[in-house]
Amino acid sequence: MIKLINIELYKIFKKWRTYIGFIAIAILIPMIEFAISFEGTRSLNFVTREIQQTFIFVGNLLNTYFVSYLILNSLAIHIPFLITLVAGDLLAGEATAGTYRILITRPISRFEIVTSKFIAGMIYTFLLILWLAVISLGLGYFLFGTGELIVLKSGSIIVLAKNDIFWRFLLAYGFALLSMGVVASLAFLFSSLVENAIGPIITTMAIIIIFLIISAINIDIFQSIKPYLFTSYMNTWSSFFDNPIDTTEIIKSVSILAAHIIVFFGFTLFIFRQKDILT
Amino acid sequence: MKFFTFLLLPFIIFAQSNNPDVIIRNLKNEFNKVKDYSVDVNIKVDVSFLKVPEMNAKIYFKQPDKIHIQSEGFAMLPRDGLYTSPLSFLKNDYTAIYVRDEIIDGSNASVIKIIPLNDKGDLVLTTMWIDQKRNVILKVESTTKTNGTFTMDLNYGDNKYPLPSSMLFVFNAERSKLTQFDRNDENSKKKKPQMISGKVYISYSNYVVNKGLPDSLFEQKGKNNSNISSDVH
Repeated sequence: MIKLINIELYKIFKKWRTYIGFIAIAILIPMIEFAISFEGTRSLNFVTREIQQTFIFVGNLLNTYFVSYLILNSLAIHIPFLITLVAGDLLAGEATAGTYRILITRPISRFEIVTSKFIAGMIYTFLLILWLAVISLGLGYFLFGTGELIVLKSGSIIVLAKNDIFWRFLLAYGFALLSMGVVASLAFLFSSLVENAIGPIITTMAIIIIFLIISAINIDIFQSIKPYLFTSYMNTWSSFFDNPIDTTEIIKSVSILAAHIIVFFGFTLFIFRQKDILT
Repeated sequence: MKFFTFLLLPFIIFAQSNNPDVIIRNLKNEFNKVKDYSVDVNIKVDVSFLKVPEMNAKIYFKQPDKIHIQSEGFAMLPRDGLYTSPLSFLKNDYTAIYVRDEIIDGSNASVIKIIPLNDKGDLVLTTMWIDQKRNVILKVESTTKTNGTFTMDLNYGDNKYPLPSSMLFVFNAERSKLTQFDRNDENSKKKKPQMISGKVYISYSNYVVNKGLPDSLFEQKGKNNSNISSDVH
């Protein structure tokens, strides 16, 4: 199985589209961080201007943690696109290239084929999130240094001590990996249904955008649907920056997202095993 | 006659004045013995919507109203509750009224009301409990135009100078005003203004008084510094 995964990883990283995500992050994150660095504390002071009428702020709040938190918050919608670029191509790409039949004739089971591709897709997702974490925190460290993290939520302000933040980021990025795992497995499922990678990419993104819009519109009927949409649980990473951490909420979200991955993978496996390979 | 004078001596020495101007003048004279000081402060914030760890900072003060704050890490200090000088309540023109005497934590205190004579400052009405024996403020209750009301309870310990060793700052403010970060947040706009009460405990230690702090210190700028005027009201 490890050999199969290695082969799949080789196939993934042989395609240049795989590097689009890494390049996009390598360009976008420094752009954001340099812009924030240029802007200085102006934007932070703007959002905290009301509380600063009551309290005097002293110290370095514009630091790598604040910037990385901001980036993680704003990229939640855009990172899925970079994931689908690769995950949507995992099975459909074989159909497009006409290599399905050659693959199936090898002495390996369809279960092994699907599983190895799925694991390779998850490794790609992991590497992309790791890249995001390294660029955000690493570059932020050189530009801004470290310090306390101020988390501004609707109705509350949390300031986390300097030595109480890094582990939260590790868990938040871990959670982001799980969220993106759902996106990857959904794109992988659609990839098993069609013979062109464009379809899974667009369909997955359309589903995510529709779900996010439904969640954002404040209409009662949409709000009642919200708990059944997996996108509603993708932002739970921010719970790691609560004080105290709502573990019940996190466990619930982790369980729901993990269940989605298992179900999507299960469906993909079922579809691929039944699939009549004609290309 | 000499005998009666001897008996009355303690009462003459510690005579409590009912004249608010005299009480305030004595308070000012006592504080004016302090030309400058630096002090380490430990801040604990107890506000329902605000979760912050204990913070430490160093405050530098120089007469008449120069303040410089330094902190290794992040610190947030209550703007109204940053007690560095009793004179900060008495900067603008005011009328002082003696109300009564009260016992505060075992000390006799004269209650003085300070009514501003113009609209320059943020204070609307301030009530001060002044210990005439030590010429220090034991308690302050104030109503501001912009930040609601606040009270300060000050303890002095064994300090040689009229500088506090600890302070409890209690404030009331509109919650939505303090926590509305997003102007487009419809949920927070819909909510009725909710008044909340918060407490800030500040303990002062390691006072270094009258060592001649340079003016340049109060012009320093940087991410771990803050220079403000003591007339924060």
